[in-house]
Amino acid sequence: MLSASARVFVRRAVGTSHGHGSLRSSSSRLFSTASSSAGFDSYDDDSVTLTSLNSMFNPTEEHKALRSMLQTFVEREVEPQALEFNKKEIFNVDLFRKLGDSGMGILGLTVDPEYGGAGMDAAAVCVVHEELSYSDPAFCLSYLAHSLLLVNNLSTNGSHEQKQQFLPDICSGAKIGGMCMSEPNAGTDVLGMKSNAKYDAEKKGFILNGTKMWITNGTLTNDNDGSTGDCFLVYARTGEKKSDVTQFVVEKGMEGFSCGQKINDKLGMRASNTAELVFDNVFIPADTHVVGEVNGATLCMMRNLEIERLGLAAMALGIARRSLDEMKGYAGERSAFGASNLYQFGQVQKHIAESYAEYMAGRCYVYGVANSLDLSTYGNGLDADGTKLYCAQMSKNVADRAIQVMGGYGYVGEYVVERLWRDAKLLEIGGGTNESHHKNMCRDLRRMGRTPLD
Amino acid sequence: MRILVGVKRVVDYAVKVRVQNNTVDLSNVKMSLNPFCEIAVEEAVRLKEKKAADEVVAVSVGPKQCTETLRTALAMGCDRAIHIQTDRRTDYVDLQPFAVAHLFQKVVEQEEADLVLLGKQGIDSDCGQTGPMLAGLLGWPQVTFAAKMDLEGDGMMVERETDAGTETIKIPSLPAVVTCDLRLNEPRYATLPNIMKAKKKKVDTIAADDLGVDLEPHNPVLDIFEPPPRKEGITVESVDDLLDKLRNEAKVLK
Repeated sequence: MLSASARVFVRRAVGTSHGHGSLRSSSSRLFSTASSSAGFDSYDDDSVTLTSLNSMFNPTEEHKALRSMLQTFVEREVEPQALEFNKKEIFNVDLFRKLGDSGMGILGLTVDPEYGGAGMDAAAVCVVHEELSYSDPAFCLSYLAHSLLLVNNLSTNGSHEQKQQFLPDICSGAKIGGMCMSEPNAGTDVLGMKSNAKYDAEKKGFILNGTKMWITNGTLTNDNDGSTGDCFLVYARTGEKKSDVTQFVVEKGMEGFSCGQKINDKLGMRASNTAELVFDNVFIPADTHVVGEVNGATLCMMRNLEIERLGLAAMALGIARRSLDEMKGYAGERSAFGASNLYQFGQVQKHIAESYAEYMAGRCYVYGVANSLDLSTYGNGLDADGTKLYCAQMSKNVADRAIQVMGGYGYVGEYVVERLWRDAKLLEIGGGTNESHHKNMCRDLRRMGRTPLD
Repeated sequence: MRILVGVKRVVDYAVKVRVQNNTVDLSNVKMSLNPFCEIAVEEAVRLKEKKAADEVVAVSVGPKQCTETLRTALAMGCDRAIHIQTDRRTDYVDLQPFAVAHLFQKVVEQEEADLVLLGKQGIDSDCGQTGPMLAGLLGWPQVTFAAKMDLEGDGMMVERETDAGTETIKIPSLPAVVTCDLRLNEPRYATLPNIMKAKKKKVDTIAADDLGVDLEPHNPVLDIFEPPPRKEGITVESVDDLLDKLRNEAKVLK
């Protein structure tokens, strides 16, 4: 009599009403919370056993609000376009700009408000990546390249003048870019890079030469017209020692800077543009476009890689959560062998229960690390690597089980999980291969010697 | 002009509610700002942006988590908020529109509001009574189911939804109570910068018990049950069969 039927009425009223197609939840999701678990007064949040976990994933009111806001945005604007842009293998630049000042205001998530950012922390980074990936990991990857590899890097390593010069436009979404580290012949062996910049004392600048590979947001157009993204941080050799690497800002339109090719036919992340970028005697002004110390870029790299890896691990959480939602939804509705749903079958139970447990383990690891990560320092490498190592594989496994539970349907694009499965694979490669995490983690663990872990 | 907007915290529209122990089970249920209230908030904020209003005050009646719902309204652009706190369930069982209207009356008088915007109904109890009752208590003009709203002179022109289309009603002068329907506007997102700003806005809390209003429900709720599951449909052999069934079984044709 009360709510159940009431809801039916509202749905109908909405359906027949003129104009808007569906009842929008809009920002009503904002600040919304699940009230307490069964057995307690449902209005009393304080007595809830799950409180500690919820407050781990949403450490403050703002995190909770940010998550709700994103869920609304994702449901309304990201989800409806995901399948199409994946199929066509093109980047949705208009939607991306809505993440900036004209909409969500999350492109400068970690940047000081003085430079046009929101001044939030690592946990907020995880919230955003988790929520965007829930619908469209490829779109989220473009966000990661921009907001972490470019924006957060500049914000952490740039000078006051550089932040004033570059950050407002990239935080607002007027300019979109990324970061250039990998090369055709140097990936995990990052310091094996060949790109180099020679100082020209007369011109007071560096001459940059080389080729960078797998650059997310490397191009923003979809027709391989040779145009580049707007702004990049580029790592290049500047000295004799292996670690003599410097970080530069390279902007669209600089002479000698071009897009070699848009890389097509990727397994996953197809709605995110990936390109090869070419630097042919590009002149870089020394006083404005060198970020951090000359030959000091390994420090910039380390500082930024930690949050990048955490962001990628959070993307894996979004993939896993969506896969779980899809498989449990399907399992509840599909009948087989005379049973009204698939939950009756032990094999399916195993898929779902193990997926949930692994997802929650990953989620606790990611937010546990995020909640203690200070973005201005470094030294959490072991766990930044660890979260990504664990979560990337976990998300691929969970997506895989989702496909298995859903059978033929799971194998088809319309049912989402096959796309998530393909996207998840990238997380085992991009931002550090599984093998590079093994290497880094064992280096750190070995250094501990016989000191017991605590 | 000061606008007061009603903001109700309800079970999220996407949640499939369950009935347990003769009541709607609210444990582990996602709660949100009532969608019609959200439309009211949007309209009030737009009036402020047009400089037609000086201040927009969001008001909510309910448990302490209502402050979250009020923060949503603040993030959308309301200036400050008033939380009338009570632990009674607000979905008709413990607190009914008559009492809520009385609570609002107190706040409206205290705040000297010129216009009260409310959702046309809460999506939990679906009463649609608070607005009309409040107008009655205040002795103010009212328009329900607003689909379009324009200030005109000292008053306003309001287009309201009816079963046959819309009708336009003139309110010669404010104050007034208007309840908002779905077509009135499309509410904005609360963006991250606005969420951060909302944090600094003021939320006053008043205990509902302190307002001198009789909060006891006057209409006892006797039973709450889920709608019966829909019966399986049948396939008919021919059009004649269909007509026969419509005539003789369903009796919808003569």
